[in-house]
Amino acid sequence: MRIVIVGGGQIGSSLARALAADHEVVVIDHDRAVADAFANIDVEFIVGSGTSEEVLARAGIKDARFFVATTPLDEVNIVACAIANRLASPETICVVSRADFLPDSKQLQGLAEFGIDRVLWPEAQLAADIEGVVTAPGAIDAESFAGGLIRLLEYRLDANSSLVKVPLGQLHLPRGSLIVAVKRGATLFVPRGNTQLEAGDKIILMGTPEAMQQVECMVNPSRGGGRIHVTIIGGGDVGLQLAERLELSSNCEVRIVERDAARGEMLAAQLSRTLVISGDGTDLEFLENENVGRSDVLVCVIDNDERNLLASLLGRQLGVPKIVTRVGRSTNLRLFERVGIDVALSARGAAVASILHQVTGGTSSLLAVVEHGEARVLEIIVPPHFESRPLKKIGTPVDVIVGAILRGGEAIVPRGDDRVEPGDRIIVFSRAEAADRVQAYFSGTGS
Amino acid sequence: MRFSLVVHVIGIVVRVFGLMFLAPLAVALIYGEMLDAIGFVVATIFTSGVGHLMRQAGGHATEDAVEGMRRVEGLAIVSGSWLLIAWFASLPYMWNGLGQINALFEAMSGLTTTGATVFEDFSLYGRSIFFWRGLTNWLGGMGVIALFVAVLPRLAIGGRELFFAEMPGHDDEKVAPQIRRTAALLWRLYAVLTVLQIAALVMTGMPLFDSVCNTFGTIAAAGFSPHPQSIGGYNNPAAEWVIIVFMFLSGANFALQYRALARRDFRMLANDEELAAYTGVIIVGALLVGVAIWDTTTSGVIRVSLFQVISILTTTGFTTVDFQLWNDQAKAVLLGLMFIGGCAGSASGGPKVVRHVLLAKFTLQELRRTLHPRAILPVKLNGRVVPTAIMQGVVVFFLFYMLTFAICAAVLILLGTDMVTGISAAAASISNVGPAFNQVGPMTNFADLHPVSRIVLTLTMWIGRLEVLTVLVILRPEAWRSGQWRINRSTAAV
Repeated sequence: MRIVIVGGGQIGSSLARALAADHEVVVIDHDRAVADAFANIDVEFIVGSGTSEEVLARAGIKDARFFVATTPLDEVNIVACAIANRLASPETICVVSRADFLPDSKQLQGLAEFGIDRVLWPEAQLAADIEGVVTAPGAIDAESFAGGLIRLLEYRLDANSSLVKVPLGQLHLPRGSLIVAVKRGATLFVPRGNTQLEAGDKIILMGTPEAMQQVECMVNPSRGGGRIHVTIIGGGDVGLQLAERLELSSNCEVRIVERDAARGEMLAAQLSRTLVISGDGTDLEFLENENVGRSDVLVCVIDNDERNLLASLLGRQLGVPKIVTRVGRSTNLRLFERVGIDVALSARGAAVASILHQVTGGTSSLLAVVEHGEARVLEIIVPPHFESRPLKKIGTPVDVIVGAILRGGEAIVPRGDDRVEPGDRIIVFSRAEAADRVQAYFSGTGS
Repeated sequence: MRFSLVVHVIGIVVRVFGLMFLAPLAVALIYGEMLDAIGFVVATIFTSGVGHLMRQAGGHATEDAVEGMRRVEGLAIVSGSWLLIAWFASLPYMWNGLGQINALFEAMSGLTTTGATVFEDFSLYGRSIFFWRGLTNWLGGMGVIALFVAVLPRLAIGGRELFFAEMPGHDDEKVAPQIRRTAALLWRLYAVLTVLQIAALVMTGMPLFDSVCNTFGTIAAAGFSPHPQSIGGYNNPAAEWVIIVFMFLSGANFALQYRALARRDFRMLANDEELAAYTGVIIVGALLVGVAIWDTTTSGVIRVSLFQVISILTTTGFTTVDFQLWNDQAKAVLLGLMFIGGCAGSASGGPKVVRHVLLAKFTLQELRRTLHPRAILPVKLNGRVVPTAIMQGVVVFFLFYMLTFAICAAVLILLGTDMVTGISAAAASISNVGPAFNQVGPMTNFADLHPVSRIVLTLTMWIGRLEVLTVLVILRPEAWRSGQWRINRSTAAV
C-alpha cells in the first residue's frame, strides 16, 4: 500500500520509520536538510512542496491509499490535503496545531470542503490527557472513554497501601471496577486472580466513574477534597490549552509560568482565571519566590526536553507531590520516568500511534495508548455473527482483557457471568503485541 | 495646526446650526408668539451668515478641507464649535431680557445637557423659548458634531477625528465601519427613542408640548423641563415611571443598545460589565436613598428614590420632589452619584461607570501584583484586555476631572457661596447634572451666584461635556505654537 507523507518532522519521520517495512512510503519535504534524517529509512524522499500538483504526481498520489500532512503549518497541511483530494482520492489525515478553522474546535471531525477525512490535533490531545491526570489526585495516568462512561486510572502503589500483599482474588474492589494491568519493573501483564500486588507496582484500573471514585479512596485514603493548585511551566499551545481546560473546573487554581513576555501578555489576554507569571521556569530562585513547592501538581510543557527535565527536577526538589512532563523525543520517555518524573507524555507519540492505528488497523478504533505504547485500549464492535455467550466461556487471547461492555448507552464492567452479544461495543485492554490478535479474534465468530 | 482649516470647519458647523432656529420658529408661529418668531428668523440669518463667512475665510477647497485632519485640529474644531454654538444658542435668551452671562450660561447648560437654569420666573418666557431650551438639550445629548458628521457629506472623511473628539471613549464601539454611518445609526436610535417617549408621555396624560420638551430633557439626559417644578409639578406618577425607564436607557450605551437591537441578541446586554455595574449602582443607590428618606416621604418611596437616583446618576437632573429638603444622608448619596455618571457612549455626563470599573479593576490588579511581582495582570473589560495606554488615559482623566472640579469649587466658595453650594454646584456642572444643593437646589436657580461664578460654571460645563482632555489639550501652548494659518499646498500634500 502506498502512503504519502508531507512533512519530514518528528511525526513524519516516526511514521515513516514505523511504516517503511511493510508499505511503500513517500515523504515530501521542501527542506533538503531533512533528507539526511531519512537516509537510513527505506522510503522515497522527494524534495518539494506538498502543495504542488507536480510533486504530488511524482509521489504517485494516484495509487496512494493514505495521505498524511504533518508540516508545522496548518494552512499548508490543509491545502496539501485539498490538492491531494483533487488529484486522487486517498484517505487524508491532516495534523493541525490549532483548530480555529473547524466549525467546532472541541470536536475534531473532518473538513469535507477541503477533502480532509480526519483532523488530528496532537497538542489538544495531550492537553486533554494531562487534564485527566491533573484532576485525578494520586493517579499518574487517566483517560476516559465512551463519553465519560468508563474511566481508566493508573496508580503507583506504595508499601503501606491496603492493596499490597493480598492476592487479587481476595481484594474487595468496588463493583464496577477492574484491574486490567500491572506493571512491575519493565514488564506489563494482565493480572489473574492469584496475582499479588507489590509495593512499587503500577496498576491500571478501568471502571465506571462512581466505582473509580471509591477506588481513589482505597488507594489514597489520606487525601481529602479541596482545591488543586496547578502550576504550568511553559505557555505554549499545550500550556494554553491545558489552562483553558482547567479553568472550567471550579476546584482548580491554575498558574502558568511563561518566559517570553509578549507570549505571556497574549496568555493573560486569553485566560480569565489563570494567573500568568512572567519568568523562567528553570530558575530555582524564581520558583522558590513564587512558592511553586506548595503546588499539588507541576506540569512542565516547555517545547524543549532539556529545560523541561530541569524544571521538573527543580519541582521535585521543591517538594511538589506530582509532576507531569511533556517529552518531545519519544526516545526520552523512559529516561524521564526513571529519574523520578511521575508522568511523562509525548504529544507526537500519541499522534503517531493514532495515525499508525488508522493506517494499519481495521474495524477497531484505538482509544488510548498506555505506558508509552506497551498497551492499548481498543474499542471493537462485536460483529452480528458473533455467538452470544458469557465472558468466562470466551477464551480471550493472553494479555487481553475486556474492560467494559457498552450496550444501549450503558457501560457494564464485566464479570465472568456477563454475556457478550452481537452488536455490543466492547472496550478491550490489550498489550501492544496482542492487539492484532484481538482484532482477528473478535471479528471472527469467536470460536 | 492649520487655523484656516479650523475656522473653515467651525464655519460649516455654525452655518448648519443656524438652521436649527427654524424648529422653534415653527413653534412660535403655531402659538402666535410673533416677537420670538421674528427673533428666530433674524437668528437663523445671522448665525448662518456668520458661519458662511467663516467658511469662506477659511477658504479651503471642499475635498481637502477635512481630509488629513489631525487630532489636534479635530479637538480644536470640536472645542471651538461647542463654545461658539453655545454663544449663538444664547441669542434667543438675550432678546428675552437675559444678560450676556446668564444667556450664555443657559445656552451652555442646555447644549451640554446640564439642565442648570438661571430662569427665575418661568411665566416670563414664551413656549418657543422653552422649546428652544429643550431642543438645545436634545441636540447636545447625542452630540451636535456627531449629528453634523452624519448629515454633512463634507465632514464625512475627517469626521472620524471630530466624532471621537466629541465622544471620547467611543473608540471601540462603532456600530458600522464608516464613521458617518455610525453617527447616522446612533442618531436614528436616538430619534426612535425620542418618538417612543413622546408617545408614552402623551398616553399618561401629559400635554403634547410638555411631553416633547420633557422628552428632549430625558433622552439627552439633560433635565430642562418647561415646568418650574420639574417633573414633580405634573403630579403624574405614570409619567414619572415612563421617564424613569427612558432616563435609564439614555444613560446606557447607545451603541450597545443599537447592536443588541440590530442583532436581536439581548444576551450581550446581560454580558456587558458596564451595564451590570450601572444597574448595580442604581439599585444600591435607590436602596440607600429609600432608607434615608423612609420617614419623611409619605407615598411612593420606591418611585421617588428610584427616580432621583437615576436622574442624578444619568446626570439628567429632573426632580419629582425638592431633594433640598432631604436629610444629609440622602444628599450625600446623590452627591456621590454625580461623580459616577452614566455609561460611556450614552447621553449622560460625568466620569462614566466604565472608567470607575476600569479603575477598580486596575487597583485590584495592583494589589495582586504586590503578592506576585512577576505576574502579568492585564485589566480586562468584557473579557478583552484594555491596553495600557487607555488605562493611563483613564487615570489621567480622573486626575484632571477632579482638578477641574476642585478649581471650580474653590472659585465658587471664594466668591461667596457656602461650602455645600460650592462643592455641589461644581460637581453638578462638571458632570452636567444640573441642580445641586442649598443655594442652587432643584427649586431654585443659579441666577443669584456671583457673575464670575456663573462664567466659571459655564466653562466647567463645557469642559465636563467634552470630557476634560479634549478642551485641555488645545490649551497647551504647543498646540498653538506649531499652528499657522495655512500650510502651503506643496508641504500639505506630503
